[in-house]
Amino acid sequence: MRNNKAAVTAVAFAAAAALALSACGTGDDEAGSSAVADISAAPKAKAATVLDQPFTKPNLVLTDTNGKEYDLREATKGKPTLIYFGYTNCPDVCPLTMSNISLAKRELSKADQEKLQVVFVTTDPERDTPASLGKWLSAQDPSFTGLTGDFPTIQAGARQIGIGIDAPKKEKDGTVVSMHGAQVIAFSPKTDKGYVLYGEDTSAEEYTKDLPKLIKGEAP
Amino acid sequence: MNRRPALAGFLALTLGLTSAGCSSESEPELKVVDAFMPQPVSDMAAGFLVVQNSGGAADRLTSVTSPLSDDVTIHETKNQKMREVSSFEVPANGELELERGGNHIMFMKLKQKPKQGEKVSVELHFEKADPIKVDLSVKETAHNPKKQ
Repeated sequence: MRNNKAAVTAVAFAAAAALALSACGTGDDEAGSSAVADISAAPKAKAATVLDQPFTKPNLVLTDTNGKEYDLREATKGKPTLIYFGYTNCPDVCPLTMSNISLAKRELSKADQEKLQVVFVTTDPERDTPASLGKWLSAQDPSFTGLTGDFPTIQAGARQIGIGIDAPKKEKDGTVVSMHGAQVIAFSPKTDKGYVLYGEDTSAEEYTKDLPKLIKGEAP
Repeated sequence: MNRRPALAGFLALTLGLTSAGCSSESEPELKVVDAFMPQPVSDMAAGFLVVQNSGGAADRLTSVTSPLSDDVTIHETKNQKMREVSSFEVPANGELELERGGNHIMFMKLKQKPKQGEKVSVELHFEKADPIKVDLSVKETAHNPKKQ
């Protein structure tokens, strides 16, 4: 409530409303219940989910944004690594996720920044060429790795770490519906296993808090 | 910084009661708040806002136009897929929320790339109510009011 006048109006309204309601009969309280749900939707205490049974790093060999072959296991061996599956024709969640990670990464020491590998794998390889993917990623963080390749390989890699993605589908009107992965997976530099999950609603602050631990392979 | 749910509760409590019983005689009364655009990273952008309806009749958001792009559509996001829709309901005595990770306005082939601090003008068109002109404030790419 912005001021006292509003509060007074509210009381007046409520009083009048109660009368109006009894006069009019049929009260549908749908608006009221949705407001209650709104308020109770408090952010959960912790963004990270630490896995009891960590994922083995997928054996993914794809093409990076320079058009070169990139072997995920080899390139990220012994390094703290975050992996996310998304696509560049995605106005909201994909840039939000990359941008949150980028903001958090900038809070790390220079040495830690160099250790952290952030890998974005496209779920829409037909439209995301190495060049277009590179342009999109570098607008967010030039240090991020972008990978593309053929869809079945990407899908199989995602599946190995519990991420389900469907192939982009062309609708009747010609628009393409792609999908992004639901989670960011963190791999430990100590074990090379995927041991922590982050949902798509994880904020930059939450990543900032957790990254120093992930760099050391500790549980956040 | 969480004023809106309280305001929503206030609206629901007062207005929900006033007109719930007499909705057939009411009209939608719309107001747009919390409108923003995260600074785009490519030639596409998303817009977010809340349409509050204090009237006793529902309405529908049917289209959005903007000088920034000739290709503006409205999208829902479900199960990590986004899909264009032809309209969104603005419930009576309720609100339509376009929020990060969910429903949004999508701008394609941007004529220029708006920067943080700038404003992007849009016009919202509804089935019943008159069009509403509103400015989206351009915020940082990671801006998400729910997380502040």
